[in-house]
Amino acid sequence: MALLELDGLTRTFGGLRAVGDLSFSVAQGEILGLIGPNGAGKTTVFNLITGYVQPTAGRIRLDGKSMVGLRPHAVARRGIARTFQIVKPFPGLTVRENVTLAAFLRHPARRDAEAAAMDVLGRLGLAARAGDLASQLTLMDQKRLEVAKALATGPRLLLLDEPMGGLNPSEVDVASGMVESIRRAGVTVVLVEHVMKAIMRISDRVVVVNQGEKIAEGPPAQVVREPAVLAAYFGKRAG
Amino acid sequence: METFAQTLTSGVLTGALYAMIGIGLTVVFGVMRIINLAHGELVMLGMFGAFWGLTLWKLDPFVSLLLWLPVMFLGGILLYRFLLRKIIPGGELNTLLYTAGLSLLIANLALFAWTGDYRTISLSYGQEPIRPFGISIAVPQAVAFAVALAITAALWLFLSRTDLGRAIRATSQNGEAAVLMGIDVERVAMITFGLGTALAGAAGVLLAPSLYLYPTVGELLIVKCFVIVVLGGLGSVPGAIAGGLLLGVVESLGAVYVSSTYKDGIGFVLFLAVLLYRPSGLFGVGK
Amino acid sequence: MSRALRPWLAGAAALALVPALGPSSFFLHVAILILMWTLLGAAWNVLGGFAGQVSFGHASLFGIGAYVTIILYLKAGLPPWWGIPLGGLAAAVASLPIGLVCFRLRGPYFSLATLAVAEIVKLVALNWEAVTNGPVGFLITGLPPLRLLGATVDWESKVPFYAVAAVLALAGLAATAWLARSRLGAYLVAIRENEDAAEAVGIDTVRAKVTTLALSAFLAGLGGGFYAFYFRYVDPDAVLNISLSMEMVFIAMVGGLGTVGGPLIGAVFLTTVGETVRERFQVGHLIFYGLFMMLAIRYMPEGIWGRLRKLVASLQSRVPGHGAA
Repeated sequence: MALLELDGLTRTFGGLRAVGDLSFSVAQGEILGLIGPNGAGKTTVFNLITGYVQPTAGRIRLDGKSMVGLRPHAVARRGIARTFQIVKPFPGLTVRENVTLAAFLRHPARRDAEAAAMDVLGRLGLAARAGDLASQLTLMDQKRLEVAKALATGPRLLLLDEPMGGLNPSEVDVASGMVESIRRAGVTVVLVEHVMKAIMRISDRVVVVNQGEKIAEGPPAQVVREPAVLAAYFGKRAG
Repeated sequence: METFAQTLTSGVLTGALYAMIGIGLTVVFGVMRIINLAHGELVMLGMFGAFWGLTLWKLDPFVSLLLWLPVMFLGGILLYRFLLRKIIPGGELNTLLYTAGLSLLIANLALFAWTGDYRTISLSYGQEPIRPFGISIAVPQAVAFAVALAITAALWLFLSRTDLGRAIRATSQNGEAAVLMGIDVERVAMITFGLGTALAGAAGVLLAPSLYLYPTVGELLIVKCFVIVVLGGLGSVPGAIAGGLLLGVVESLGAVYVSSTYKDGIGFVLFLAVLLYRPSGLFGVGK
Repeated sequence: MSRALRPWLAGAAALALVPALGPSSFFLHVAILILMWTLLGAAWNVLGGFAGQVSFGHASLFGIGAYVTIILYLKAGLPPWWGIPLGGLAAAVASLPIGLVCFRLRGPYFSLATLAVAEIVKLVALNWEAVTNGPVGFLITGLPPLRLLGATVDWESKVPFYAVAAVLALAGLAATAWLARSRLGAYLVAIRENEDAAEAVGIDTVRAKVTTLALSAFLAGLGGGFYAFYFRYVDPDAVLNISLSMEMVFIAMVGGLGTVGGPLIGAVFLTTVGETVRERFQVGHLIFYGLFMMLAIRYMPEGIWGRLRKLVASLQSRVPGHGAA
């Protein structure tokens, strides 16, 4: 059985269909790329899965259990963590405090939560920044912190919203490696990303959406050759 | 039926002045994203301006308006330039708290200077109401209504026909885009705050003949003002006009048909309901 | 003895010494007001300072405490040590529906909603004459001496009030100190910093805010109950005024938002200034509240306590050997 299943997911905003009849599933242990042109509704899909936005219609199931109607914190408790495209750190707190707050979800005692936080920071190469204020980090490190917070909630499924946006090519390589190491640690990953090089390299499978609807699905190398995808996505880019 | 027409009329007359106060608050919010808690005190200053104009210089309130309008405009510009400008980058909650402090400061300076006595303005032509269609209207209220309409219309023309007015509306709709279009947002903000202050002051002058005036009257007015702008949608001028008229009429009808003691409560309940279920305002024009 | 307890014991001892010095009635009165405002500042601070939820309606919680306490005394003869906690409890219970409504809104919209709720509560108090006695309110005409733990408490002296106020203020500060170290306190800071991000890491923000509002309301209600006995009258203008809400905000803000000692410092500073001015001019003491509020936001947004803490930290870092402290 798939870890996450979306079935007929639809969301309209005042007559405008942001997501329409979208269905796909995510298997345990895979890295799934969710791609599509700007405004295709990818972030809305994340918002729907994590309870920030409620679907107009459709089903969301994690391990067969419905997630519809849960508030974001309850979704996190069930094991889905996310990052935001525009990072949302707790700016006035240190990096360690940021991640400890997330670790409280699985470790009620402060001592345990702090230990878990330091463990995650070590894995993501942020340990040296633990005492810095989140607002003082570079963009790369803020993106890392965003992932660290999500991982510290002990998720089974991690939704990454453009973790590589704004990074330079060498930083993208580092970030790609980070995503792969997260998967090796047993966390399933869904990735929204515009950096095609990274998507092609690390995704097992991609789902392409355009105007809120799925237009293609499959291994990345195969999907990029489909005419519908070329027209909707690459066509636009290549001119 | 006659009672109804009478009640409706007095509601509309009051509502027009409410609308003016509301417009002042809403244009400031639109451009600067700040909720000015001291707005009620600015209205209070206008009321006392009318009172002292009449008491000291025998100036009819509607004449002294010509003096207070520019004075309040200038005062607003100074307030913005020397006090608020430094605070606004600190975030909306800080600004809200800052204007709360300003509100307390102005009200209590007034209390200190003028005591807490309730005062009224009585005008020689205020005794005998006019009676069009059998509806009785106090003359000062009728004049205030006409002046409020004129000022609102003038503001409307200014906002829609002049470059500066268009710059204000553009900033209100999208501050970042306005910067990109080369609008001097800082100057627009300053002038907008002056305008908001002038509108509050003018509304105060116009309200003075029909309300008790005392230094802490702003407390009552600011809460009404929030009701108005939230009903109409924060940031929307037409919304504030509609909200002001609506509140005037609802209060007036409520006082007659529901209970005079709870008439203020009707506004608050409406306010909470709109905040919760239609946060963009009853007419869906706010943001 | 635990290090953390030391300042508390020292504070309690200092407070206990004050009446023994034979202070004037005015001095004791000011001390009582400072303690009452410390409690109220702390009440507002747990919600406004830690969770960043700026309420302009705390007067309603204070007022509910005051009404419940005075009604319980006048109608059922409940002494202060029952009436005041029950006043706090009533305010906490009343805060639940208020929170569930107002917390659906964020930032300034939340603040406006609390203002509207406070006005509604005041209107109800003015008009629900059967329970509240309307605009007239309630008056305690005589407080006969009461027996407590074998001793007789004489309410004509200010000392018993001072003792009660001291206990309440310490309770308020202790509650803040507990919150600052607790997981709930950490959650509140997360909510203040970024509410969406707090939800994303699994924090039930509504529950955290409603719980904190209840704690805040309990403390404000205690303050109201104390007010009822100390001033012996309760009417809508005295206990449900917007300006009361504002004073709580200002004390917490000037003292230092989200700090443990802030409300104490804010109350000492503003109440001393306020009462000195009131003594001389009767009106206008709030001029200084407004002024200090504006100055604090402009020049010292971390408040007096926050600024002192920074100063101490920078001094320590200059002394060799204390660098890591």
